[in-house]
Amino acid sequence: MEIKRRDFLKLLGSATGAVAVGTYGCHEIIDVPERLIELAKKGPGIETWKNTICGQCPAGCGIKIRLIDGIPVYLKGNPNYPVNRGGMCPSGHSALEVLFNPDRVKEPVKRIGLPGSGKWEKVGWEEALKIISGKLKELRNAGKTNQVAFINGSAQPGLMDKHISQFMKAFGSPNYFKLPSISNKTVPYKLMQGLDQIPSYDLLNTKYILSFGSNFLEEGYSPVYYTKIYSHLRELTGGGRAKLIQIDARMSLTAANADLWVPVKPGTYGALALGIAYVLIREELYDKEFVNKYSFGFNDWVDKKGMTHLGFKSNVISNYYPEQVSKITGVPAETILQIARDLGNNKPAVVLGDEGVVDNTNGTFSQMAVYSLNALLGNFEKDGGVYFVDDPPLADLPEVNEDEIAAKGNRQTPVAKSTDTDYPLTDFSIDAFTNNVLNDKPYPISVLFLYKGNPLFQSINHRDFSEALKKIPLVVSFDPFVTETSEYADLILPDHTFLEKWDEFYNTPSVGFAHVGIQQPIIDPLYNTKNTADVILELSNLIGQSVATALPFESYEKEIRFSTEKLYSSGEGAIITEGVKSSWLEYLQQRGWQIGRYNSFEEFWELLVKQGGWWNPIRTKKDYKDIFKTPSGKFEFYSQYFERVINKLIEKIGGESPENREKVLHSLNIMARGDKVFLPHHEPVPIDESMPLYLVTYKLLTNRDGQASNQPLMQEMFGYTVHEHWNTWAEINPETAQEYKIENDQFVWVESAIGSIKVRARLNPGIMKEVVAVPFGLGHTSYGRYAKGYGVNPYSILKSKYDMINGNQALQATKVKISSAT
Amino acid sequence: MKFILTKIFFFLLIVSVTQAQELKLPSNPLDGRIVFEEKGCIQCHAIGGYGGTVAPDLAKDQYYGSFLELASIIWNHIPEMNRKFRELKMERPTFTGKEMLDLIYFIYYLRYLGEPGSVSNGKKLLTEKGCINCHKVSGKGGDIAPDFADLGEYSSPLFMAQAMWNHGPSMLETMKELNLKYPEISGDEINDISAYIRQASALTSVDIRMSPGNPANGKKLFRKKGCVNCHSVGGEGKKTGPNLSELDLNESVTDIAAQMWNHSPAMIDYMKEEKIKYPMFEGNEMADLIAYLYFIGFEDEPGDPVKGRMVFEEKGCVSCHENGGVGPDLSKIKPFDSRIQILQRMWNHAPRMEDLLLIRNNEWPELSKEEMQNLYAYLISIIQKK
Repeated sequence: MEIKRRDFLKLLGSATGAVAVGTYGCHEIIDVPERLIELAKKGPGIETWKNTICGQCPAGCGIKIRLIDGIPVYLKGNPNYPVNRGGMCPSGHSALEVLFNPDRVKEPVKRIGLPGSGKWEKVGWEEALKIISGKLKELRNAGKTNQVAFINGSAQPGLMDKHISQFMKAFGSPNYFKLPSISNKTVPYKLMQGLDQIPSYDLLNTKYILSFGSNFLEEGYSPVYYTKIYSHLRELTGGGRAKLIQIDARMSLTAANADLWVPVKPGTYGALALGIAYVLIREELYDKEFVNKYSFGFNDWVDKKGMTHLGFKSNVISNYYPEQVSKITGVPAETILQIARDLGNNKPAVVLGDEGVVDNTNGTFSQMAVYSLNALLGNFEKDGGVYFVDDPPLADLPEVNEDEIAAKGNRQTPVAKSTDTDYPLTDFSIDAFTNNVLNDKPYPISVLFLYKGNPLFQSINHRDFSEALKKIPLVVSFDPFVTETSEYADLILPDHTFLEKWDEFYNTPSVGFAHVGIQQPIIDPLYNTKNTADVILELSNLIGQSVATALPFESYEKEIRFSTEKLYSSGEGAIITEGVKSSWLEYLQQRGWQIGRYNSFEEFWELLVKQGGWWNPIRTKKDYKDIFKTPSGKFEFYSQYFERVINKLIEKIGGESPENREKVLHSLNIMARGDKVFLPHHEPVPIDESMPLYLVTYKLLTNRDGQASNQPLMQEMFGYTVHEHWNTWAEINPETAQEYKIENDQFVWVESAIGSIKVRARLNPGIMKEVVAVPFGLGHTSYGRYAKGYGVNPYSILKSKYDMINGNQALQATKVKISSAT
Repeated sequence: MKFILTKIFFFLLIVSVTQAQELKLPSNPLDGRIVFEEKGCIQCHAIGGYGGTVAPDLAKDQYYGSFLELASIIWNHIPEMNRKFRELKMERPTFTGKEMLDLIYFIYYLRYLGEPGSVSNGKKLLTEKGCINCHKVSGKGGDIAPDFADLGEYSSPLFMAQAMWNHGPSMLETMKELNLKYPEISGDEINDISAYIRQASALTSVDIRMSPGNPANGKKLFRKKGCVNCHSVGGEGKKTGPNLSELDLNESVTDIAAQMWNHSPAMIDYMKEEKIKYPMFEGNEMADLIAYLYFIGFEDEPGDPVKGRMVFEEKGCVSCHENGGVGPDLSKIKPFDSRIQILQRMWNHAPRMEDLLLIRNNEWPELSKEEMQNLYAYLISIIQKK
């Protein structure tokens, strides 16, 4: 069935104020099983509420669901859940449209046509599992366990990650990957600090926030968390009110809410950061004590062989003075001077960097440059500065006793690891994965499991990835919907939607305290679906041997209980309840009390599930030795770790020689030479000079990963800032539009070297003249009636470029031209 | 006339006595923290440094007194609070009866929670008190008694107090054998020693803490453990041991634990002689029992309703609440479900009353503890008699 926007609005209007169970005119929008409709009509109308965790994006907000006779009818933010404190983004509000979506896969299906043909037939769970376990057993018997790969498309840290990892390790495959991978984003911190962790920022206690391309109110790990903090900061008056400076190529939601928006050319954030560092150093506004005592490579230094190396300071002073930086970035020199002076004179001040900085070919070095400003300010473990949150005290899964077959498989090189020198610090590069699968390097992949995410839609090299999928003999998707990616699966074993399942999440990246969220089923599964975690348990048992013993749980729910037993016994933190704020916990802890009172684990568990989670806002400040795990034990402006990585790559291709060094640096797209390679520096982005404009893509709060495209409410709200619905648009500066004779609202072609898209032009002075910005999210060719055929996917015209150090997709590295399409 | 007055007097007295035990012991006095935060008390008052600085920090190791003494303190500083609300443009909170009771329980309870110990002092005390002669800590010390490292994961000082209590009889015996002096100890010293033991044996990441005591459960334990066989509270129980209502138990949890410890030798000897079973504690029991003992002081002495009537007249309540005054005639209002509602209504109507007093050039009627007790007894008598 196809539904037009006009019909949707009509239906929505008639359903206003009605319960969302399909009985009041909503039936054409959502699909509510008859038994629930009958229950809604005849039930006694008893209201209950249940807490769970939202699954619309990886932020993991706590939500409260209102049920009438057990049927979910409404949801809102859980006011006690510390991540979102009752707040909720638009996407969360449309969660019931996921549960009652008419395009759900209601039972396991098997593809009968060609990949992408959309032809499926029913297959029972038993048969489906028999097919898969048969193949897995066959591979184990042949000692080819490494030929199984698993891609987890959820960026949310949680038990499921450990669960899959445990399964893959016990089975004997090193090919468990996450896309997007948080650990790829941690590479700059690894290089300078030795930690594989995203830092948190004490924004509540800072006076000055300098954000480099971090659209944290919309694209951050948890926009609601940041919005709550931002609101609090804005409530303060006078001296207590922190200033927010947003550096971005377009006026993002965060920039629009900032005190100052500083437009910058895409791909030059690192240069700007170093220009600011220049002023801090020249005007002695940096923390000399920290830099002298706890950093390495600030000044020029001499190694054990007596060779003098370039230090951060010399490099910055020589190459990044404001006039020079202004030429690179387009930011006036006076602005650079002013920002740097404000940053240095408003302590505590903190510096953030994200999407705009990292989503480019030079992301690693640019983020290093941004992060070095925090080091210059001596921000680590300081109020209003940067810190790292401890993991919650959850129990680890039992140690895996690999049998011989598994041990052999686990020793193989992961298939997402480049066989050359590319992506040396990559956890997972979809580029390397795709190329290796296509070329059977270092070995073929026989089975691929896909859990969450939609790589074919979310990645920039669609064509090659779809070819790779076609090449794999057995592709199993656990998606509850048919997506662009699952169109290529041989089997779809539909997962429950998040309102029907158990799960456990913890520590959303960058959120400033340890926390655990419990996702519980708020309704029995509507259809013949299964929690993927339980399917993995079933597969483990069918394979048997050490695979079965690695996951000795009756059900995933039991596994979650097991995991939280240590949370109970640790005595740390508290189950979230009213009035459990950090101050109380700290006050009581200092006196040897714990706030909760549970006579048994069962009592603890019941309350944990009822309330929706646990947290520990008390954080003991760490010693520098615990947060600087570098070769020098200090913060390294000059990354000795990176130097070792490069030297290893050189060894790999035949040993030290100018040619080999050149070859390695060239393969990593590094233009710098000498010591500069290991220092934060600006790497020019290789761009197509024949194209006049930068294409900047971004994600909206209403549809971050394109996942909400199948929810009509989110389609209706998609372009809430520009009143554009169910469609994609391009933001163009009015002066640029005038140059190309383009008017507001007219259709334009946005054309890159690899393709073009037709979108409506939206003239907006909040975008640089050199930039065209197109939101990501729409342009599905699958994913159900509300998603398919609406808008365009800007990734389809992005060039296949990556940060060659960490494997991130370079989403801001394509240049385009525009022309009228009318 | 004299007869009628006498009749009223006895009636008032009976009513006040019967009402005196009406407030139930709380199960979790910390529930009031929610009211404290949600009603914005925390905007002005801090608890141990957490909160506003406009008004006093309520956790400065202070005992505020019984229920009605606390009520009188709150009542007396209502005008000052109201001025602050206006100055800071804050909405003045109103309370339901439950909220008011929770808040009062909470404020009363704060002292019970105690203060953090001093590690350096704890180290000194282990030597001074002679503990180190028998116990080992950080590898040093005697071998006679258990190694303190075994207590390292228990970070509540009360765990140590509980362990001391439980091994009191055997320790006393050993000390007698070795001719050692039984060490008396204070609550602060328990905190300090516990803090030092925790730090000195920091080998474990496990941090086991007690939950703040549950007075209602403590009352049950008082019977279950047999304390009631020797001690009386509010006239109930035997009088072999001290009457606990007469002791100063308005101290922190470790202060009360120290009192228990210090009187344990005499108690142990007596119990041994009388062949009475020595009570042992486990889990959260000692915290609960002490919370009950701490809450003995929450109950007020019964007020005198006749004197309360005098307060009612002297403080000017009569001018509004009788003879067609602007306030409701208290003898005609509906009886309350709980006595706390009187206090709640007094709080909630205070702004109107403050304005009237100001307009009429009258002062705010401050009430001492006794005046509050008496007035309260009077009000209960006229409102609840229906």
